[in-house]
Amino acid sequence: MILLVKINGMDFPLDRKYYIKNGAHIWLKQEKDVIKIGLDAFATQIAGPIDFIYAKKGQVKSNEVIGSFESTKFVSKLHSPINGEIITINTKVVNQPKSISNKPYDSWIVEIKPDNPNINGKYILEEKEKITIWILNEIKRLKNNK
Amino acid sequence: MKVFNLDIIPWKDTQLIYHALAYNNIESLVLHSPKDSYVSLGLHQNPLDELDIKFCNKKNIRVFRREIGGGTVLLDHNQIFYNLILHRNNPMVPYAPETFFRKFLQPIIQTYHELGIKVKYQPLCDLVVNNKKISGNGGGEIGECKVLGGSILIDFDYKIMTQIVNLIDCLKDKFLELMYNNLTTVRKELGYIPATDEIRSTIISKFEEILGPLKEEKIDKKLITKMKQLDEKYSSNEWMYQRGTKQLWREIKIREGVYLINKTFDMKKGLIKITCEINENKVSKVIFSSKFTTDCSCQQKIKDKITGMEYESDNLLNIIQQIIQNCEGDIVG
Repeated sequence: MILLVKINGMDFPLDRKYYIKNGAHIWLKQEKDVIKIGLDAFATQIAGPIDFIYAKKGQVKSNEVIGSFESTKFVSKLHSPINGEIITINTKVVNQPKSISNKPYDSWIVEIKPDNPNINGKYILEEKEKITIWILNEIKRLKNNK
Repeated sequence: MKVFNLDIIPWKDTQLIYHALAYNNIESLVLHSPKDSYVSLGLHQNPLDELDIKFCNKKNIRVFRREIGGGTVLLDHNQIFYNLILHRNNPMVPYAPETFFRKFLQPIIQTYHELGIKVKYQPLCDLVVNNKKISGNGGGEIGECKVLGGSILIDFDYKIMTQIVNLIDCLKDKFLELMYNNLTTVRKELGYIPATDEIRSTIISKFEEILGPLKEEKIDKKLITKMKQLDEKYSSNEWMYQRGTKQLWREIKIREGVYLINKTFDMKKGLIKITCEINENKVSKVIFSSKFTTDCSCQQKIKDKITGMEYESDNLLNIIQQIIQNCEGDIVG
């Protein structure tokens, strides 16, 4: 059974890490020597149904724009959480972007081969307490910014 | 905060300016109209799918793929365009896209009200009067800013719009009819065209009510440099034809809830294109087009099954594919 943080009906599984810089809501999951990334439950809930997604392959630096997604006629950018090389794009998800809204944690968007296999940093969370505080702050920010 | 009240400017500058302001982190409101007609596509649209490129080239109608969302729009001097550029960390900026549109379209709604047109907000980002769209909008993140883009339709060339869209000839009249019935303009509502400089002044004063005082600015050298730099990127084929999601159905939006959608199905006998007219999010009409004689009973089955159905793209596609499979015993794609 996968442990998770559950807040306001949103799940945040603890079998992965979360990239949070500048309001990013990207999960990272290490599988062998690659990192799969996708959007978390908070991102998909505030975005609404995702109509389009685009991502590009190649070398990337942390926080660099690697793609975009569109929901409710609004385009949001996807940022890389790490330095590395995007080696695979999940064409199934790109062609059926609504799957991200339905199953965010099964819908990885790209696979990155990291420059450094040790995935840590100021903007990457993995501990339950930190993830809880982060999400509670995000909910507060959502309520205040209307 | 700054306001660039620009009146009529070269077509490409109407796009380059707000992208450059956003990349330069200059919070501002921009008002402008293009000197020449052109087509603007949303970030995730591909001109080869959306446009009759031959017609656009013949009529010298240029194409620009913007960084913000929404669909294909025809822009000309009979529309006033507004762009609001705000830093993502500005406490005034709502987190959720729908709230962003709802909040920052209020000054535009109030501007229409001042003109005597009782428009209201229709989610996701249309403004409508008597169930007819009078303003289309889109938004997105550019650099560290969030940007709203939309237009006040003073007047509109319905016929040219019909011609620029990539649509088979027999559906152009249908598209035109749907636009006439679902898209209106300031001229149609009032019976005359008000002074556009007064409309722009009203927009500015209504935005000042939520943003605070706006200081009039001119385009400076730094901004021109950024616009030139971005022009190189946006003029490249790599940018213009960048591909992401391919829609299950090609969708032409007239207003929220009203669409023409079509898809080509590859059957044993050859290709068949199915077009559906969607009214208030339900399939109201099904049109078949094909260069060969198709199974009429299969067409009838499709028509009977999907007419009146809710427009849900995946479901609609699955049902049609199932019927074709049953009729033909095979479907390639």
